[in-house]
Amino acid sequence: MNRRLVIILTLATLLLYAWPMSGWLSTLGREPATFATYVPSIPVVDDKPFMVEEFINPDPGKGMVHVGSICQLPDGKLITAWYGGTREGAKDVAIFFAIKDPGHLTRWSKPKRVVDRISASRELYRYIKKVGNPIIFAGSGDHLYLIYVTISAGGWSGSSLNVKASSDAGATWNNSRRLTLSPFFNISELVRNKPVPLSSGGFAVPIYHECLGYFPEILWIQSGREDGAIAFRKSRMTGGQSFIQPSVVAYGPSLATAFYRCRSDEKAVGVAVTKDAGLSWSEPQTVNLPNPDSAVDAIHLSDHRILLAFNDSVQNRENLRLAVSNDRGANWIRIATLESTQGKKYSYPYMIRSQDGLIHLVYTWHRKRIKHVVFNEAWINAQMKRIAN
Amino acid sequence: MPLVFSFVFPFLLIIALLQGGTGLLGRDLSGWRPTLILVLISAFIAVTPVGGLPLARWMMSFNANFSVSLTAILFCKVLESSFGVKLLDKNALLTCWVFSLTAGVILYPMALGLGRFDPYQAGWGFSWLFVVVCGVTILLLIMKNRFAIVLIAAILAYNLRLLESTNLWDYLVDPFMVLVSCIALSSRLLRKLRNRA
Repeated sequence: MNRRLVIILTLATLLLYAWPMSGWLSTLGREPATFATYVPSIPVVDDKPFMVEEFINPDPGKGMVHVGSICQLPDGKLITAWYGGTREGAKDVAIFFAIKDPGHLTRWSKPKRVVDRISASRELYRYIKKVGNPIIFAGSGDHLYLIYVTISAGGWSGSSLNVKASSDAGATWNNSRRLTLSPFFNISELVRNKPVPLSSGGFAVPIYHECLGYFPEILWIQSGREDGAIAFRKSRMTGGQSFIQPSVVAYGPSLATAFYRCRSDEKAVGVAVTKDAGLSWSEPQTVNLPNPDSAVDAIHLSDHRILLAFNDSVQNRENLRLAVSNDRGANWIRIATLESTQGKKYSYPYMIRSQDGLIHLVYTWHRKRIKHVVFNEAWINAQMKRIAN
Repeated sequence: MPLVFSFVFPFLLIIALLQGGTGLLGRDLSGWRPTLILVLISAFIAVTPVGGLPLARWMMSFNANFSVSLTAILFCKVLESSFGVKLLDKNALLTCWVFSLTAGVILYPMALGLGRFDPYQAGWGFSWLFVVVCGVTILLLIMKNRFAIVLIAAILAYNLRLLESTNLWDYLVDPFMVLVSCIALSSRLLRKLRNRA
């Protein structure tokens, strides 16, 4: 290389690095994205206690279903997504979704197939061995996003995440897009819990890594485009081997608590807090609730209490209970048993609050059905009164 | 763009394998005409559908982000076998092995969960990683080390989003690149030890 070439290449290098730097410089003056917390404005506490239960999917016979998630569109429609097939990880497993029009008397629509391994393979233009864990959530207008797992080789530790978007409330879906989230063959990234909306219009999606390490992460996504295309990045909540499947409850623009599934011998629900809108998280601690290495989900009530759905056991998933904390997760009061049958499994709770203040809980009912339970805060308060008496 | 570029690495790999195979059989395939034939055969193999997917996409199914560094090394190898042109000299290759191994040692253990710090996070937007790689590139240019051109190609590919990944780390290094660097540096070390003995 002669001197002139060195000078030209040095200038070219500086120019090429100036491009990403200009993008960074343009964000310097901007406020960092914070959590957009939603607390219902209606007087939910004064309502009469209300609670209904229903199954979303028909009985699959010898098949299975798992990992339900739910969201609400601005027009009040509820949408759920889950995966089902002959068995977990089977080649015929597909991701389904169903819609329910506003109102308690309406029924869930017949499940529609969104994606299976054949369509995922076609859309992602690569070999897909199986599909799994989906979460569905609503953007602005009729926009829906589905983040789901695909595996090309191996078991769950070979998982990669993909996103599909719909701009017409699920009538049609864009092709799947692969999210590259790991430098090591882009594997071992999974999703399970509900996203937290951000002030920027984006979402903080709790995800987790399971390969050599098992740890929770946040997938930050931003969308502003009509075609549903997103920009994304990832950050780590903590390292180690013990805590996965974070459920994040935001109770202020910068404040949130995460509740973790615990894989360690402590067998208790893990908890961590952030004071900077998820940029950093405290070291996980365990709370006085057992955890049999199973998913939990939490939601913020209108009076700053936290409601948690969990398996109240260190051994199995034979029950599903609700507990309330008045001190952001430090102490808990068990308020209701939703399920308890020996030999059955109730797992993967997922809760949202609808625009009318009702709380919608979906969970896997013995791997056969996705169950939908709806209740209001008056029902929670009635349960607390019953416990107190 | 990433879809078209995803065929480049498998295509180059097929050429390199064919060159290696024919080399073992004692046939010399250097020169314009044999190279043109190899290019056509390799392109045909890369796009040949097997089970509904082109062969190249089968490879990308299991690793979609072959780094620009590994692609550049492979390109240089193919060019050398075809025309005897050495784009990267010994010094540049040694720098490449050391750079890739260092990057791999820093990146993979932490990205797979060792500790709370995840260096991979730095690759999604302008960060310390960009400053470091830019500094290394300019330093190598001043030292007239040709590996700098590979690093320039990597940031160019990143800006053009030629890979499926939007993370700079994936343009610089991949697990196969680290493995190749390990083998190259180990064999170099063994050769030196043997010569000393």
